[in-house]
Amino acid sequence: MADPRETRVLLDQAEDPALRTLEGYKRLVGGYSSMENAYRTMEQDEVLSELEDSGLRGRGGAGFSMGKKASFLPRGEMQKYLCCNADESEPGAFKDRELMQRNPHQLIEGIAIAALAADAGHAFIFIRGEYNDQANILDRAVAEAYEAGYLGTNILGTHRDLELVVHRGAGAYICGEETALLDALEGKRGNPRLKPPFPAVQGLYGGPTLINNVETLSNVPRIVARGADWFRGFGTEQSPGTKVVSISGRVRRPGNYEVELGISTRELIYGLAGGPLPGRAVKAFFPGGSSSPVLTAAEGLDLPYSFEAMAEAGSMLGSGSIIVADDRVSIPQLALRTARFYHHESCGKCTPCREGTNWTTKMLERVVRGEATPMDLDIIASVQQNIIGHCLCVLGDSMAMPVGAMVRKFRAEFEEVIETAGGVDPHTVVAPPPGILGATL
Amino acid sequence: MSEPREISLTIDGREIVAYEGELLHDAARKGDVEIPVFCYEPKLGDPVGACRMCLVEIEGIPKLQTSCSTPVREGMVVHTRTDQVKEAQSAVVEFLLVNHPLDCPVCDKGGECPLQDISMGWGPGKSRVIDEKRHFQKPIELSPLIGIDRERCILCYRCVRFSQEVSEDAELQLLERGDRTFVGTFDDRPYIAPFHGNITELCPVGALTSYTYRFRARPWDIEQAGSVCTLCPSQCNVSFTVRDERVKRVLGRDNAEVDDGWLCDRGRYGFEMFESDRRVEGPQLRGGAATGWETAIERAAEVLRGRRVAAIVGDASNEEAFLAQRILRDALGSADLDSRPSRGADRASLVRLAEPALGAKVRDIDDADAILLLGTDPLHSSPILDLRIRKAIRRGGAKLAVATERPTALDGGAAAAVRYLPGGATGFLFGLAAALRGGGESPESAVAEVLGGAERVVVVWGDRVLREENGAGALLDLVATLKLVERDDSGLLEVPDFANARGLREAGCLPDAGPGLAEVAAGRPTEQIRAALESGELDAVLLFGVDPLRDFPDTAAWDAALTAADVVSFSMFETATAAKADVVLPLETHAEKDGTVTHPDGRLQRVRPSATRPAAVRSNVRVLTELAAALGLDTGITSQPSAFAALTTAVPFYNGIEDSDIGGRGLRWQEGPSAANAPAAGAAGAGSADATPRSSSSPSEIGSAAPRRVSDEPAPAALSGTDAGGLELALGTYRDLWAGPLTELNAPLKFLAPRQKLELSLGDAEKLQVKTGDAVSVSQNGSSVEAEVQIKERVPAGVCFLSEGVAEGNANALLNGGPVSVEISKLERVEA
Repeated sequence: MADPRETRVLLDQAEDPALRTLEGYKRLVGGYSSMENAYRTMEQDEVLSELEDSGLRGRGGAGFSMGKKASFLPRGEMQKYLCCNADESEPGAFKDRELMQRNPHQLIEGIAIAALAADAGHAFIFIRGEYNDQANILDRAVAEAYEAGYLGTNILGTHRDLELVVHRGAGAYICGEETALLDALEGKRGNPRLKPPFPAVQGLYGGPTLINNVETLSNVPRIVARGADWFRGFGTEQSPGTKVVSISGRVRRPGNYEVELGISTRELIYGLAGGPLPGRAVKAFFPGGSSSPVLTAAEGLDLPYSFEAMAEAGSMLGSGSIIVADDRVSIPQLALRTARFYHHESCGKCTPCREGTNWTTKMLERVVRGEATPMDLDIIASVQQNIIGHCLCVLGDSMAMPVGAMVRKFRAEFEEVIETAGGVDPHTVVAPPPGILGATL
Repeated sequence: MSEPREISLTIDGREIVAYEGELLHDAARKGDVEIPVFCYEPKLGDPVGACRMCLVEIEGIPKLQTSCSTPVREGMVVHTRTDQVKEAQSAVVEFLLVNHPLDCPVCDKGGECPLQDISMGWGPGKSRVIDEKRHFQKPIELSPLIGIDRERCILCYRCVRFSQEVSEDAELQLLERGDRTFVGTFDDRPYIAPFHGNITELCPVGALTSYTYRFRARPWDIEQAGSVCTLCPSQCNVSFTVRDERVKRVLGRDNAEVDDGWLCDRGRYGFEMFESDRRVEGPQLRGGAATGWETAIERAAEVLRGRRVAAIVGDASNEEAFLAQRILRDALGSADLDSRPSRGADRASLVRLAEPALGAKVRDIDDADAILLLGTDPLHSSPILDLRIRKAIRRGGAKLAVATERPTALDGGAAAAVRYLPGGATGFLFGLAAALRGGGESPESAVAEVLGGAERVVVVWGDRVLREENGAGALLDLVATLKLVERDDSGLLEVPDFANARGLREAGCLPDAGPGLAEVAAGRPTEQIRAALESGELDAVLLFGVDPLRDFPDTAAWDAALTAADVVSFSMFETATAAKADVVLPLETHAEKDGTVTHPDGRLQRVRPSATRPAAVRSNVRVLTELAAALGLDTGITSQPSAFAALTTAVPFYNGIEDSDIGGRGLRWQEGPSAANAPAAGAAGAGSADATPRSSSSPSEIGSAAPRRVSDEPAPAALSGTDAGGLELALGTYRDLWAGPLTELNAPLKFLAPRQKLELSLGDAEKLQVKTGDAVSVSQNGSSVEAEVQIKERVPAGVCFLSEGVAEGNANALLNGGPVSVEISKLERVEA
């Protein structure tokens, strides 16, 4: 059951397995009525302005205005594309998985309406290969939607066509980067492209392409049905709406919680997620997935959970995924674990990311083995500075920012690990102890 | 096309004028500001911004930008040496060296390595890396010619982009991910492709090195000598790496007007044949006995003096060709002279075809809207044009129409591909002209459709079209129909059989035309020379750089002719032809000789002596003048400059061209001081200015009389099965890229020497009950050769193909100058 501190919009009725079916979606939440209304009565510009006025910001990480992004697509007779980015691979993020699993038709309806706004005739859901169950659910839902005439040719008798394809990725984090996603979708090696040209101008197969996250698109049906003002009634001025927040790490009730943006971070971690395990205290947390600079408990717990507050604190809301580290978590171990992930996932196209993630990992390995000197910490910090802002895409920064923040904010702990020659308490590993998982899903 | 707008911007305080939209890196270079790069290489197409070496600061943009991918705007203010930029660039160098072995002392690239240079210029100078570097097995064979050292690789992936987007063989790939990424091929198969040597030059580190150059020299041991490769008509500009006066390596010398900065592997690796043990390294008498120069010249003069002599000139510079025709015409009083292996067009037609308004430049291919590839496969005959046409399609959006006998390497990118039967170019051309004028549906319509809507049209045509009865007329008919003369940036571009065919022609090596295509008393062309030698109407022949027993049609007849006559042969290698000569005089290679050649588009280029000749080899020009003197002709020529002066004086449209005009880039005579002296149709005597050529029957007559074309339909009845039950197929031949001494005499290239393959359609193979790999005998009028069956999907029914010039089973044995049909029978292999 939903916690009363939640504000369930996207996850409304999510407990009911019937929501997965087209019939259930219609019955439980009035599904597809927004699309019917949009297709029958609204012009492209009306949909666009509704989205723009709502202030909906992208839920994939960058937080860019969704309506504005859609308005960048050129007008005119040409093949345009819509891609739904469902390659949710960031450590700590698992909200898209739940949205697709519980309410696939909400996403399909959102895609159909966004395609109207973007004047796109072909849409793709690029879903990470590991989300096999969710891809199967989507496949069934898409088939139902075709059957019911919400996809295909002459949709709802409006002479509009939309083809929607669910494409399973092959297991690379980099394919969540929008241009790498396009290359992978085209059948190429999934490497980011040079921007400009931006996908809105020249994207999939060279055509103008709108790329949005699952949660962003899932918001679209209600915004178009109930209006921008209704949406702005939730959240803050700069971060309107609700947000599904994935909370993981050292908390009692990890899981997804849908809240109004601007809620206090303490409420999220201590209230909804139940706070740290007994006898433990929050030491630090990633506010927006593993790529966001960590905030110490003192810095972050009392901040409102919004795009602007997190940016002001020198971090970011990102995809809205909080990972909590308590006082038994070794920050150097956490830094190494973070660096290893990005080292493993770096595509290798650009130099600073390819070599920087590799070098940082090797240095951090020496740190936790106790084979480093404090000078190495300066080198690690300087290497992170040398990565940030110099890469082709943001993957390099995604390691450099959190690792840099950890070294800066917890330098004493790093030095202590070096001093004790690797004599780290064996309990201070990052993986949570067994038995506390499974609060949701 | 409209000129791009000029704008001005400021880089490091310098005012720089550049074109709007030009990339910042290139604009900076105009202002002498060097921005270091690794991945950026304009020849490879659009920038990829991968190495991040060229980060610079642009006022108004908070983040540093890659100058390789940023177009310049009016008023842009750029800084390349601020602390922020220096730190970023130094950081990128440091990152590149994290995994680089720094084994410069044992690396072939050391001393000419961009990574070394940029590390010195922009790097931190001191390493902070103490961690283990990545390891790979090394070096390993990427191909039999190139070794790859993956530890040295900095993953700029220039080589991969070349393979994918320039040569389009798509064999090289990036495998794995992140810092584990490496360059390789699918399943570790060897990278075998005709242009693959270019990747060694593209590589900015020592990761890709040629086995032919590995550990042979250091940059301080060598000199670079700019010259021109004359192994094929592409005449690519090359730079020979010379150590101890011997060629060790061949590099490209980028010339966008000629080669676009690429070389084929023939040109790049062919040089080792210069030192083959079958090289003729001094004058020889019959039987291969070495002799002194005085004796040799005297003996040659004896053979020729006072006798009925013909000459055939092949691998020669313009000056050599000019001297050879003077010897024949002025010292020996003969008119029997040619520079073609088989039939060709008459003077009037050649004069028409040489009109400047009709000719296209190589560069016109880049901007063409439509390209017609007619009767040639550039991959085999002029490889660098293959890359040029691919580029035009990929980057210029050109549409390609292919009309050939044999499927070509470019069919895949063609908007239309039509096959005609061997010897059917004329019929095709008249059909095409009719289709362009609005004829009904025909096999030519697809090609007409590609050409019809285009504004700039380049026709790349093989000179074998001129072997046909009215080939020149048909070509000129197409020119008239397309109104090519009136169009800008359009025209004909010839792909001849001989590398310097145009130079030989313009220097006067034709039976009916003297220097400058001037009208002269007509003599015998090649085929008639052969017949007259055999019948005794001619006593002797002077062969200069030709090997008729390998390269000319009808081997048996040539054998008889050369047996019957006395032969003086200028030859680079000990060939079957040279073995029949009374006197063999050695030839210089193109790395040794000094002279000029003329590109098929009219560009005079200078071949410069780069390596030393073997001790007993003399300059070809000197030998020819001495031979002339021994025959009583004082040519007044004593050296290359005087030979060049004599040539430019004798050829009206070369008048006034100085060596300095040619320089390192060449000069098209059509743009030279005497372009106005170009041979004009009006002066051609028999030929007239009207579009329909002399001596032609009307197009429709030709078209209906000889409908030698094939389409998807079954072969015409006349060409299908014979009543004897065996299958008779029309024979088409081509010269395989790798056929000839180049692969046979060159140890590193031996693996490429082609075996004779009989290319067949699936249907015909089924009728013959043969499959790929079977041995067959192919016979024609008593002669037969053996070949291995290769079934090819795109070979039309009723036709089969063999290569000329291969060591075993040379197709020339079956040819007689005209179209032939062959009978094929399966050979049972005897198991050993």
